[in-house]
Amino acid sequence: MEKYLYIALFAPLVGSLVTAFFAQFPKTLFTGIFTSTLIFISFVSSMILLNYVDMDTIVHVEMMDWISAGNLSIPFGFVVDQVSVIMMVTVTLVSTVVHVYSIGYMDHDKSFNRFFSYLSAFVFSMMILVMSDNFVGLFIGWEGVGLCSWLLIGFWYHKHSASWAANEAFIMNRIADLGMLMGLFLIYWQIGSLQYDIVFANIVNLAPTTVTWIGIFLFIGAMGKSAQFPLHTWLADAMEGPTPVSALIHAATMVTAGVYLVVRASEIYVLIPEVGMFIASLGAFVAVFAASMALVNRDLKRIIAYSTLSQLGYMFVAAGLGAYWIALFHLMTHAFFKSLLFLGAGNVMHAMDDELDIKKMGGLYSAMKPTAILMSIASVALAGIYPFAGFFSKDKILEVAFNDGSYLLWFALFIGAGLTAFYSFRLVMLVFFGEKVHEKLGFHPHEAKPFVIYALTPLALLAIVAGFFEHSFHEFTTQLLSNYEFTLEHSVGMILIFATSAIAISGIAFAVFKYKRGGFSENIENWGIYKLLSNQYYIPKLYEVAIMKPFTALSKFIWLEVDMRIVDSTVDMIAKVIYGTGEKARKMQSGNLSSMLRWMVVGIIVLLVLAIFYRPMV
Amino acid sequence: MITLTHYLVLSGILFSIGLVGVMKRKNLLMLFFSTEILLNAVNVGFAAVSKYYGDLSGQMFAFFIIAVAASEVAVGLGLLVLWYKKTGSTDLDSIQMMKG
Amino acid sequence: MDHILSLIIFFPLLAGIAGFLVNKDSIRVYGIVVSALEFSLTIALWIGFDNNIDGFQFVEHASLISNFGMSYSIGVDGISLFLVILSTFMTMIALIGLNIEKDAKNLIISILYLEMTMVGVFLSLDVILFYLFWEFSLVPMLYIIGAWGSDRRIYAAIKFFLYTFAGSVLMLVGILYMGYFYFQQTGIWSFSIVDWQLLSMPFNLQLWLFGAFFLAFAIKVPMFPFHTWLPYAHGQAPTIGSVILAAVLLKMGTYGMVRFLLPLFPDATIYFLMPIAIVAIIMVIYAAMVAYAQEDMKQVIAYSSISHMGIIILGIFAINAEGITGSIFLMISHGIVSGALFMLVGCIYDRRHTKNMSEFGGLAISMPTFATIYGIMLMASVGLPLTIGFVGEFLSLMGFYKVNWLMTLFAGTGIILGAVYMLTLYKRSFFGEITNEKNRGLKDLHGRELVALVPLVALVAILGIYPKPLLEPIDLSVKKMLVLMHKKAVLPDTQDFILKVNTIKGGE
Repeated sequence: MEKYLYIALFAPLVGSLVTAFFAQFPKTLFTGIFTSTLIFISFVSSMILLNYVDMDTIVHVEMMDWISAGNLSIPFGFVVDQVSVIMMVTVTLVSTVVHVYSIGYMDHDKSFNRFFSYLSAFVFSMMILVMSDNFVGLFIGWEGVGLCSWLLIGFWYHKHSASWAANEAFIMNRIADLGMLMGLFLIYWQIGSLQYDIVFANIVNLAPTTVTWIGIFLFIGAMGKSAQFPLHTWLADAMEGPTPVSALIHAATMVTAGVYLVVRASEIYVLIPEVGMFIASLGAFVAVFAASMALVNRDLKRIIAYSTLSQLGYMFVAAGLGAYWIALFHLMTHAFFKSLLFLGAGNVMHAMDDELDIKKMGGLYSAMKPTAILMSIASVALAGIYPFAGFFSKDKILEVAFNDGSYLLWFALFIGAGLTAFYSFRLVMLVFFGEKVHEKLGFHPHEAKPFVIYALTPLALLAIVAGFFEHSFHEFTTQLLSNYEFTLEHSVGMILIFATSAIAISGIAFAVFKYKRGGFSENIENWGIYKLLSNQYYIPKLYEVAIMKPFTALSKFIWLEVDMRIVDSTVDMIAKVIYGTGEKARKMQSGNLSSMLRWMVVGIIVLLVLAIFYRPMV
Repeated sequence: MITLTHYLVLSGILFSIGLVGVMKRKNLLMLFFSTEILLNAVNVGFAAVSKYYGDLSGQMFAFFIIAVAASEVAVGLGLLVLWYKKTGSTDLDSIQMMKG
Repeated sequence: MDHILSLIIFFPLLAGIAGFLVNKDSIRVYGIVVSALEFSLTIALWIGFDNNIDGFQFVEHASLISNFGMSYSIGVDGISLFLVILSTFMTMIALIGLNIEKDAKNLIISILYLEMTMVGVFLSLDVILFYLFWEFSLVPMLYIIGAWGSDRRIYAAIKFFLYTFAGSVLMLVGILYMGYFYFQQTGIWSFSIVDWQLLSMPFNLQLWLFGAFFLAFAIKVPMFPFHTWLPYAHGQAPTIGSVILAAVLLKMGTYGMVRFLLPLFPDATIYFLMPIAIVAIIMVIYAAMVAYAQEDMKQVIAYSSISHMGIIILGIFAINAEGITGSIFLMISHGIVSGALFMLVGCIYDRRHTKNMSEFGGLAISMPTFATIYGIMLMASVGLPLTIGFVGEFLSLMGFYKVNWLMTLFAGTGIILGAVYMLTLYKRSFFGEITNEKNRGLKDLHGRELVALVPLVALVAILGIYPKPLLEPIDLSVKKMLVLMHKKAVLPDTQDFILKVNTIKGGE
């Protein structure tokens, strides 16, 4: 089985490296097909491993030593267990679809080859992240996906906004990574190892405060990668990247790495329910906070990005409350329907010549029927309507919140579910139905190539049926993860399901009803709350005014005033004083005998004075 | 009664006169006179202290100084005469060739 | 193999002298051949090096002034081995990348002479010999900056010389007093490091001598606030000067700390640990911020060097195997990465005759290979895992975490700020549309430049993925040094501290 592990892990790397050699050549279709094939092979291997792994057989290999110094020893070790194999399958599946899709999407791009090289490198990093058997290996993948995300967000680097967004994403993630590094250091100095099995075996022996700190530090890392408040701004800006990138990295895989980390470290988090509660609260807050921003945004991709943010909040609620398998389940279903939604949006963007404003679209249904259907399926799944995938995973999370007695959280998620349904269908309605605004603006939309549509069908299929795997998923993952005990009565559970479905359906109905009639009047845009939401609560502005500008000013100040004027000038002043003294003292040497004699007299007097007053030996 | 103090005071006064002369006079010849006064001030001191302690080495030293002073004046005056022949002046300020 | 170390030290000198006879046109090839031979000698040294011995190997000893215990005594251990290899390697790479035509002969001879002094510093086991090489290294660098630099080269060269010289003179006083003290204690004169390391010293004396040595090293590193010579030196030096300055000369300071301060004055080290660590942290953050404010690409990298040196110092003063091993590895990795970055700046300077970032923009379009290599080096510089930069930074910070976690957090902001200034630099120079017409149609990297840079890229990746061959011998020697420190410390507090920072806390 180790063979399949290595194939699953390294096939994307091979694809990336081989393609990298073609990076500077003009488009060759070969690169796209080659990398897609390798990712598919990786997917097949992951499926084989999925079949293989069960209760007592997991695959664990140590490839070679990496860092060893002092007591520290970090190998390149990989483990395929119930959690990582689920992630592997999800990642490679979505990646395969995205690769194939990109062959069509990036067709006209002159950096076609480079794109596939980056994309496969990303998959490789993500595989390392999920397959590593130790925290530092996870950190390799963690930073690796950060690098690839930087490369891919800034893929169209000639655009100022793209490279800016890329840097923002990288730097924000770095802030969080520092937290994670601190967590790793703390674990090491407490336990002496960073291997998962050793850490989890010994974590119970540590003092509760220490474990709390470990939990906090690791979660700070997760906050950055999963774009939780207050490190969330990069995710919306990251939409500057090509759409397949948004689908793969910023919806399905990378941003869920934070959730994966919490699930993976569940044996730490079960010991510290207070931190778990904080995670859940933050998740619930983000779920509503992000959904509210999605309500008013006019940018096709940003709406979906905020939706991702909101769904990540749901996952964190589940993970924070100890329902790790449910978090993982929602992670998986979300990966399917959200990447589908993004890829559909990519088709729309192509059709609309990269126009993103949904107010300028409308009535695209007639021109691009398959895409419209696919995106509707994804939206229904996102809204959580039976029997689509989102229903099963999202309702479970609400149930968990209620079961836990955190009614406030439940209520937040409940509201969030309504908002989700509304904004998803606001998007669908504005893009595909209603008045054909685009015609007035002179767009001529066309449907994407057939193979692109076919590539999306597996995702659509999964978005519909993935929910029915709930039981087998539960059984499979709880072999490793701790189970979550529902104490709710069946009837209460049913009521909850009905309530959630009701609010979701009413959200959809309201959106359909309202936008069929042309939507809201223009003057709501003058409302304070609308402005607040469409400016993202003024948080990016705040960051710019409160952090970026002062930092730049302070840096300039430190350089020009402190470094140049104080530190360097002090040094130069010492030199100048010495030099100046020499320059002055030089005048003594005037060559004039009488002035020299006068100096001699001065010298005599000084010596006399010294002889009289300075008697060290007495 | 003339005590050691008197001699030493005399020596000090002479020395001060010499010092002032060294500092103030611009004529090279006067400079030589001033140095002679300085040296002799020290000689007086040496002789007096020597007498006071009954140790002759002080007086011997005075003789040495007289001898050295004589040779110094001989060499110095020789140079002075040459200089005067060359430039027509014995003014100190005219000699500034070793300016740093 | 008996005299390989002497050969390694004096071969560049002899070759340099012989270089005066070489024809002007073939001097470049001559220089490359000599430095390549020198490099292969050090590789031979590495092959012959026994990884299982933690002490000095290939030791050579000959009395020079036996009455005063001064001797020609050289040897190599895990700590110095890779710094020697780094010196010869970077000299070779720098010579390959050299493209100065003016007085190339004198320049190359200066470089070879400099190579001798660098290798000598790392190999000396006699302190007087160490001091000689230490001071000699200033002279060729003074010439390189002063003769082949930019407009304000004389100012920069003199500042570099006097500043570092002032520090090391104090060290000389310390060395002489230390020798005298050794004589007082034992009745014989010795300036051998090995002898000195065995001598236990009263606490007060340690404080004074620590101060004298520390100042010299701190200026060389350079530590805040003694760092201002460095931006001038880098700003004015020709590319080859910057490469060697950043890659090797700065490491002499941190090497001195590991070799002298820690094992000779363990109690004073612990006593001064906190103040030094605070200064190091200030240095990390301060230099990173100043780097962010720069307009000149070369100055960004110069200040980034200062910032990274701060982390190296923190690793050293972690006083545990993880931290010190990490910091020595970081010295090597920083040598490779900063050397490469300075070479890259040199490449663009040759084409555009400016280093000002506002003149660039969109270089990724006109020079894709250049942008790629620059990008790789940049990622190594910000310490991305699987590049060479990560291993050392990770270990250094991890080591210091045991001493104080809050200070590690502050030092860790260097990682964030490093990303800030580096990515800003990259964005301003490489991304965006080509706004300046002069940047259009620039020639991408070609033959000579690629030959110099590709090995560096390969090393960045190889040692990032498999650093073990380096870490193993370093770790062994470091552990030996720590045991020594623990043994000779005169205060019980010091011993406790060393023990504490080297222990993993078990369960409670």
